[in-house]
Amino acid sequence: MITLGIDVGGTFTDLVMKDHRTGELRSFKTPTTSPHFAEGILNVIRLTDAEPDEITAITHGMTVATNTALEMNGAIVGVITTKGFRDVLIVGRGNRPNLYDIKTVRPPPLVPRQRILEVDERMTGTGEVHIALKESQVLAACKQFKEMGVEAVALCFLHSYANPAHENKAAELIKSELPDVSISVSSEILPEYREFERFSTTALNAYVGPKVAQYLELLESKLTANSINAPLRIMGSNGGTWSAKDMAREAVNALLSGPAGGVTASVGIAHLLNIPNIITYDMGGTSTDTCLIRNYEYEMTTEGHVGMWPNRAPQIEIKTVGAGGGSVAYLSQGKFLNVGPRSAGAIPGPACYGRGGKEPTVTDANVVLGRLRPDRALGGEIDLDHDAALKAISRLGQELDLTPERTAEGILRLAAARMTASVKEISIMRGLDPRDFTLVAYGGAGPLHAAEIAKELGINKIVIPPMPGEFSAFGLLAADTRYDVSRTKLTPLNDISLEDLQDLLQPLREEMRRRLYRDGFQEKNVQLQAFLDLRYAGQAFELRTEIPDPIQNIDHITTTFQAAYEERYAHRDTAPVEIVSFRVVGVGKSPNIKLPKHASNAIGKPETRLVSFDNAFLKATIHKRAALPIGTSILGPAIIEEEGATTVVPPGFSASLDLFSILTLQLVGSD
Amino acid sequence: MTKIDPITLEVVTEGLISVVREMRATVFRTARSVAIYEARDFSCGLFDARGQVVAQSEDIGAHVVPLPWSVESALEDFGDDLFPGDVILMNDPYRGGTHLNDVTIIYPVFENGELVFFPAVREHWADVGGAVPGSMSGTATEIYQEGMRIPPIKILEKGEINKPLLEVLLSNMRVRDERLGDFNSSLAACKTAERRLNELTSRYSMQVMLDCVDLNLRRSENRMRENINALPNGQYYYEDYMETFGPDGFEPLLLPLNLTITDDEMTADFTGASPQVPAPVNSTLAVTAASVYIALKSTLDPAHALNHGSFRPLHVVAPEKTIVNVGHPAPAGSHGEIRKRVIATMLGALSRASPELVSADIHRTSFHNLIGGIDPASGSEYVHYEWACGGNGGLMEADGPSAMAAIDWGDLTTVQSTEVLENRFPLHVERAQLGIDSGGPGQHRGGFGMRRSLRLTRGTASYSLLSDGAIMPPFGIHGGESGAPVDCYVIKKDGGEHHFSRPGKVGGYPLSEGDTLVLQSAAGGGYGDALSRKTDAVSEDVKNGLVSIGIAEEIYGVQFNDANEVDENKTGEKRAELLASRAKIKVKAVDNDPYVPSGPSKRRGISLNPLDIKTFGLKIDQKIELLDAQGPPLRGWVRSDETVVLGTVCMDTNGMLLLGVEDGKEVQLRPLNIPSVTY
Repeated sequence: MITLGIDVGGTFTDLVMKDHRTGELRSFKTPTTSPHFAEGILNVIRLTDAEPDEITAITHGMTVATNTALEMNGAIVGVITTKGFRDVLIVGRGNRPNLYDIKTVRPPPLVPRQRILEVDERMTGTGEVHIALKESQVLAACKQFKEMGVEAVALCFLHSYANPAHENKAAELIKSELPDVSISVSSEILPEYREFERFSTTALNAYVGPKVAQYLELLESKLTANSINAPLRIMGSNGGTWSAKDMAREAVNALLSGPAGGVTASVGIAHLLNIPNIITYDMGGTSTDTCLIRNYEYEMTTEGHVGMWPNRAPQIEIKTVGAGGGSVAYLSQGKFLNVGPRSAGAIPGPACYGRGGKEPTVTDANVVLGRLRPDRALGGEIDLDHDAALKAISRLGQELDLTPERTAEGILRLAAARMTASVKEISIMRGLDPRDFTLVAYGGAGPLHAAEIAKELGINKIVIPPMPGEFSAFGLLAADTRYDVSRTKLTPLNDISLEDLQDLLQPLREEMRRRLYRDGFQEKNVQLQAFLDLRYAGQAFELRTEIPDPIQNIDHITTTFQAAYEERYAHRDTAPVEIVSFRVVGVGKSPNIKLPKHASNAIGKPETRLVSFDNAFLKATIHKRAALPIGTSILGPAIIEEEGATTVVPPGFSASLDLFSILTLQLVGSD
Repeated sequence: MTKIDPITLEVVTEGLISVVREMRATVFRTARSVAIYEARDFSCGLFDARGQVVAQSEDIGAHVVPLPWSVESALEDFGDDLFPGDVILMNDPYRGGTHLNDVTIIYPVFENGELVFFPAVREHWADVGGAVPGSMSGTATEIYQEGMRIPPIKILEKGEINKPLLEVLLSNMRVRDERLGDFNSSLAACKTAERRLNELTSRYSMQVMLDCVDLNLRRSENRMRENINALPNGQYYYEDYMETFGPDGFEPLLLPLNLTITDDEMTADFTGASPQVPAPVNSTLAVTAASVYIALKSTLDPAHALNHGSFRPLHVVAPEKTIVNVGHPAPAGSHGEIRKRVIATMLGALSRASPELVSADIHRTSFHNLIGGIDPASGSEYVHYEWACGGNGGLMEADGPSAMAAIDWGDLTTVQSTEVLENRFPLHVERAQLGIDSGGPGQHRGGFGMRRSLRLTRGTASYSLLSDGAIMPPFGIHGGESGAPVDCYVIKKDGGEHHFSRPGKVGGYPLSEGDTLVLQSAAGGGYGDALSRKTDAVSEDVKNGLVSIGIAEEIYGVQFNDANEVDENKTGEKRAELLASRAKIKVKAVDNDPYVPSGPSKRRGISLNPLDIKTFGLKIDQKIELLDAQGPPLRGWVRSDETVVLGTVCMDTNGMLLLGVEDGKEVQLRPLNIPSVTY
């Protein structure tokens, strides 16, 4: 019995394999084969030498949905909406994307206005029919869509969260008129109020859906052709896995499929080490993802965005900063030094890639400082050209009147200052102090910069998990299945009885059980949690409050909300409390993946190399992670190398490896 | 000064900006009023001991850019008399404030007994007392009706709060507890800043910090100087109007701008602006100067983080007791209107100095709509506040964005959710659409304004509007045409329409169940000649239903065949025909004052020979525009004068400057076109 976690990133396709007979955990890496991602997946599976019939489960993290949205090459979408509201998707909330810039324009809409058609129909906020649906107009719209070559339809009617009858009827008509077109219904995708956000999420689903569906279909057929019949599960933005069929239908939930695996794996590490509060730091080539985990739980949000478009699907609250190994350092007018968000990408890439890149990048800075070893960094795929890096950095240094080493160090310090700004902001917004957290660093470039980041945040302790370069793939192996269902019904909390509340939650619970049983989970592995989105009457923002099962009384919910509100906003209010949405989260628990024990090898004297810290080249010890003995503390300056990642231990830090091969860096003299 | 390496400089700069971000996060976390933590109507800033902006973040330009004037007033009063633990509170528009609702806390931070920084927070308090709930009255005649006026006062002295004083203030404001919450959140933010600044100083030393601040100010100053230096030296002029109504109807108030560029410095001189009036169309020097700065930053140097250095090459002259530098006792509530108009005059004047960097005029007003009453269903009082944004001006590269916040508004959300609104208020939103044909035609047309129709579903309500730009439409540049102005009216339950006699200025109009309020925000002006717009762009607009076929044919000259495709040949002919039919007139330089009285102010008369008036099909007192192919249009009211030579128009020096032409040059003459908007 073998299970696979496969994470397809921009540069590499990573696989982590668990052999449940031996308990062995192995990782593999091949170049990503964009845009034919399935090829790369088959390639990396071949590397494992696993017999197809031994593979019992595959969990996959992908970027197809995200790339489709960001590169704007999704389906030709047609929208049908309520008369008078054609422009909701065009103008959104009327925000200005860049302050103080008169030249700011909106990016082109996902759906041009000519493919947004209006029909007579109207529900009220309480779900009563105000204007009946004019079905002939839906049929006429179908005819127009056919002429326009529409591939996916989004149905976006006002107040459909309160009564989906019109959307359902329209969907039925479209199904019979346009049988080959995929349909996204706003009351199914996101039955919550606020029309722009719901319409946008639905249109995004229609836009990315067909590509995701085609991709998953192709992938499944290729796996079958290779005699691999294991069920394919897809990592969702909500941190749980989905059946490939569900994800194909609700692809908007795959927009954070990539980074979610690392976050869920970090929760596992947090449990293993008994550290409830961590900040994850996943740094790749072009961007860095961070997430705050409190008391072993990541924060969820529905306030996501893809480019300009709101994505209200429930998702892990991940902050992405446009700074990574490929971020370019340059001077702008007036001698202001910038690092990113411009990136050298994979082509030409950093100067040290020797592919024609001339501008200095963060990776070049690491090469100049001796932190990245030229001949075997980045999974051994690319030989790094030290001289090219030095030349690029020196050129910038001359303009700044700094030595190349100072310049390189400056680039890293500045990148760290920029990357930590949003972490500081979200922690203070929650009334938290980052110094109370442990940093968990992974991704190809995470361990390289972790100490710098920790210093900037005032954090003393850093954890580098095993296989940091393939950590997201590892997370996929262990991920639970998770679905979120919700419904908006504005109700004063005081007006509702316990019975009413149960009646409203019951259908959501049943829907959840149905999905999880269908996915093969047994009752003992099914966990349901119910939440209410609550607010003080008159506010426009809600706070998700968990309600215990069984519920004792309504007052108890009020008190829980007030406490949560006070924790978040530092004061209490006396206004009545109002329910906005009812929500049930269902989790199908996967068996825990145990990390294998570190096979410690006694080693001889480590190599040394000159590595620059604080403008001086120091003799740093160079270690192989796989060969580190358990429990021994290494004092910085040191470099710890492994396949796919390099960990920097600066002077003043110590590093030690535990039984499970988890590496911990600690500021000397701190607890 | 010690030598600061460029890396330390950047890291300290990032640290200072981070202080402001953390201030924002603190306000957001601790504020108690909806306007603050939902609409984010507040701003934070960090100032040095001389009151210069050192750092800001994603804050609202309209708030934070005028803040230095408040700090300056505070320093005037307390310069030598500030001690650790002192905290200054103020909102006085006459002393460097904006409007009374913008209440400011200024918090001196000391290091070794020396004053080093002032973190400051400006929050829009939802009520500061005065005649009407919300304090913003469209009918105020004196500042006393707009709320409590607070000159710079020490609300905390050496750490001791002046409780009686705070009680007096709060007792004169509605929803006292919420106001106290606003006050506390500002204070908490400043305390966060103090803590972070102390951490930064212990890491980098005060001297390094101050040197970094100084370097930052200097390099920002240099950057702005370089940008100004790149503009041609010279005198530039634009004039525009604020809208008021007298006993005889419309009384435009003149707002002229003489802009002088001398090498790397710029002077914006508003001498000649209308005297202040007992109506809410006045604002403060701080708002005026800040608006000049916002216009300049948004056009010349948008990318760079904001600090005071880039203000330095800029001089603003605004005579006292005028609409742009209001004094006691005139109302000062119209900062949203003066700001937009000052920015408009800057765009107009800059369009000649730097034709490619500016946009055409932007939607002219902050468009404050208030609908309030008692909902019979719940018996409780409600106020719905709408500030739906309009279109932005066309640009050299692109059409102006439709229904989007203007450059002075930061990240404010400006379109409210219909579903939220209908669940909360006895209102039914019938439509929320772009106004077809509203965008000013041009090579790159202006962005479209919005039309929202709201029907009152229960009980009665009252409607107020504090706006401007309901008569004079947003102007185009480089030949571009006007966008649609603000237009608000009521469709009565019986189908009859009520149009307001003083468009844009409404105080407490009664609405009954079934009445529908139509709110149309202004659009943006066009950039460049409409006849040079790409035919496929016109065709796309038609397909998207944003431009009607009539406008496409008659204004853009684009002709379509039976298959609705562009007929390029016929289009060429039509465009040539339209071009040839344009009225032309020769400019003759004279010394006469062209203006005619307009209430306490004046407006420009354009004197034409009676025969020309007839030939051009114009009427006396009709609004017209004169324009050259480059630059802004000169607007004025037709006067008949037999002494004017046929085929010519007399022009004063400012008029010549605005048009950018010499004596004897021919310019185009056209009626001031108000686009008719459909849905």
